[in-house]
Amino acid sequence: MELTFLACSLILYLLATAGFVAHLIARDGAPRLPLLLLALAFALDTTALTIRAATLGGFGIVSFHDQLSLLAWLIVGLYLIVQFRYQLAVVGALVSPLAFLLTLSAYIVYAGVQTLPRNLQTAWLPAHVAPAFLGYAVFAVAFCISLIYLLQESQLKGKRRWAMLRRLPSLETLDELNYRFVAWGFALFTIGIITGSLLAKATWGAFWSWEPVQVLSMLAWLLYAVLLQTRSAGWRGRKAAALTIAGFALLVISFFGVNLVFPGRHSGAFG
Amino acid sequence: MQHELLIVGLNHRTASVAVRERVALADAQLDDANRRVHALEGVEEAAIVCTCNRVEVVACAQQADHAVDRVTQFLRAEQSDPVPELAEHLYVYRGREAIRHLFRVASSLDSMVIGEPQILGQLKEFYARAASVGATGTILHRCFHKAFSVAKRVRTETGIAGRAVSVSSAAVELALKIFDRLEGKTAMLIGAGKMGALAARHLLAHGVTEMIITNRTFDHAVELAREFRGTPVPFDHFVKYLHLADIVIGATAATSFVLTRQVVHDVLRERKGRPVFCIDLSVPRNFDPGINELGNAYLYDIDDLAGVTEGNLGERAQEAEKAEAIVAHEVEAFWTWLGRLQVVPTIVALREKAEAIRRGELEKTLRIIKDLSPQEREALDALTGAIVNKLLHAPITRLKQRDLRSETFYLDAIRRMFDLEGPDES
Repeated sequence: MELTFLACSLILYLLATAGFVAHLIARDGAPRLPLLLLALAFALDTTALTIRAATLGGFGIVSFHDQLSLLAWLIVGLYLIVQFRYQLAVVGALVSPLAFLLTLSAYIVYAGVQTLPRNLQTAWLPAHVAPAFLGYAVFAVAFCISLIYLLQESQLKGKRRWAMLRRLPSLETLDELNYRFVAWGFALFTIGIITGSLLAKATWGAFWSWEPVQVLSMLAWLLYAVLLQTRSAGWRGRKAAALTIAGFALLVISFFGVNLVFPGRHSGAFG
Repeated sequence: MQHELLIVGLNHRTASVAVRERVALADAQLDDANRRVHALEGVEEAAIVCTCNRVEVVACAQQADHAVDRVTQFLRAEQSDPVPELAEHLYVYRGREAIRHLFRVASSLDSMVIGEPQILGQLKEFYARAASVGATGTILHRCFHKAFSVAKRVRTETGIAGRAVSVSSAAVELALKIFDRLEGKTAMLIGAGKMGALAARHLLAHGVTEMIITNRTFDHAVELAREFRGTPVPFDHFVKYLHLADIVIGATAATSFVLTRQVVHDVLRERKGRPVFCIDLSVPRNFDPGINELGNAYLYDIDDLAGVTEGNLGERAQEAEKAEAIVAHEVEAFWTWLGRLQVVPTIVALREKAEAIRRGELEKTLRIIKDLSPQEREALDALTGAIVNKLLHAPITRLKQRDLRSETFYLDAIRRMFDLEGPDES
């Protein structure tokens, strides 16, 4: 049942991607159709997550599959809110395929009903997962914005003109938005790290245990901290965009690495 | 159809500037020329349009063939220095094609630079001039005003005018890709010449708040600063103020760089990475091309700006296709209105409308008063019929008199007053 909803939203994400690209090429009006498709996909994902939570009875994030679909859901939801305020269709053109890939991965790694280890069944787990994943989602949108910044900058610097990229927002707008997103992501991520260490203390008896995911997340956290700190000293624009992208790359490595390469306490199977 | 719209004229495509300047009418002669075209036999309404790219007579005439000949003769006679093969340069549009041509001209689809905004204003002015000497009438009035509204529609619904096609507007367009908005931004103009002043004026018009002006001859900077409400600074010290400027325009006659890479590098450090947009309008160039390699500095020279305008022209051509579709649609709507503007169909429509109202009201009354004898019913029927006929008698007689000059006026008035228009023409 949950998978049927996910399959439908996969198709919608693909259609929304095509819609956004068509919108960028046509350059007219508001991207109503792709936004509608995306909102519909979001609704389906919401339903799928609710069904999953009901099946598992309570907190529904127990496997890699759940993490992936939660992330897709958060990113799309966040984008829809941002779009409402800033009208950034070009971000939608990046967010839609990203959501597609995440949902597709979630679909592939689905491994039926799993249960949470008894020692993790505490209120600290959602208190850790919620801000950490929201932070991931915010950083993902910041990553998209930074990519667009670099595209726009290389257009302006190189005096090139790509028909599809005529509608990009100004560098100033992108830089400012990027800053705001990184700041929000940083705050959420910090909370996630704190609650995570409290959760670790409660379940395993230690705040910190040098797990790869912890180390990589800490590195990313430091990178984002540097980015926020140096802005007033002149690290704007291109440098800020590059750092945002690097930080996100670290998060991606830690997120996939922990689940696929070096399983530890953070991996979906909680091996 | 009795009256036909026609356009006889030439434009930048059919005649070189050497021909156009000989056919063009001086402003002082225009009123008189409008009167004389209007006075030509068979011409009911006329308006002359004369811009640097076109000379056209727009007319509404009986027996259009003869009218075309007379208008052509008129154009030939107007020239002090006659063009030998004038007919080769002239085009003639009639009926629907004439409407289409006028709508296209107004929408700037027939312009040398497609989408340029001046033509609409010029057209309005020339129409007003013709109207002021009484050369126009109902049909041209409706036709021109429809052309104006079509042009407005084209402007808002397509991107035909949305792209910069002059160097100055290209600079503004680029500035808006770097900065979110120009309000609150400061620009510095280096060189108070014509070209630089033009670019500065464009930036100010788009919101730039502060203008710092420097010039080798300080007096010129002061003069221009007064006009722009800017701040003049001495040429020798302008670098001191450079960090304040978000946009720097170079427009001096200097033969060496007035702005080097090193200077901008230091300024950027002082600006803490806030971007700076350098516009070099001079030949030879004023700004070191190496500036563009610096992070957060964007340098455009005159060729780069020309590249932007060229690309935009290509884009306009695409948008023009959308505009043509709008024009085609509007031409059909106007053509339908024009077709209805005839005596017999108007009288029929008027009678039908009156009869429909009479019948409706009569039936309503007869339903309420049920105990009437057949004679009484007949009397009521005759009474209402007589009222309607007597009321309509005068207007219908007026229409049947067929006074050619005012015919369309009354037709249009009656159609509007009695709401006889179809649903597609308001």
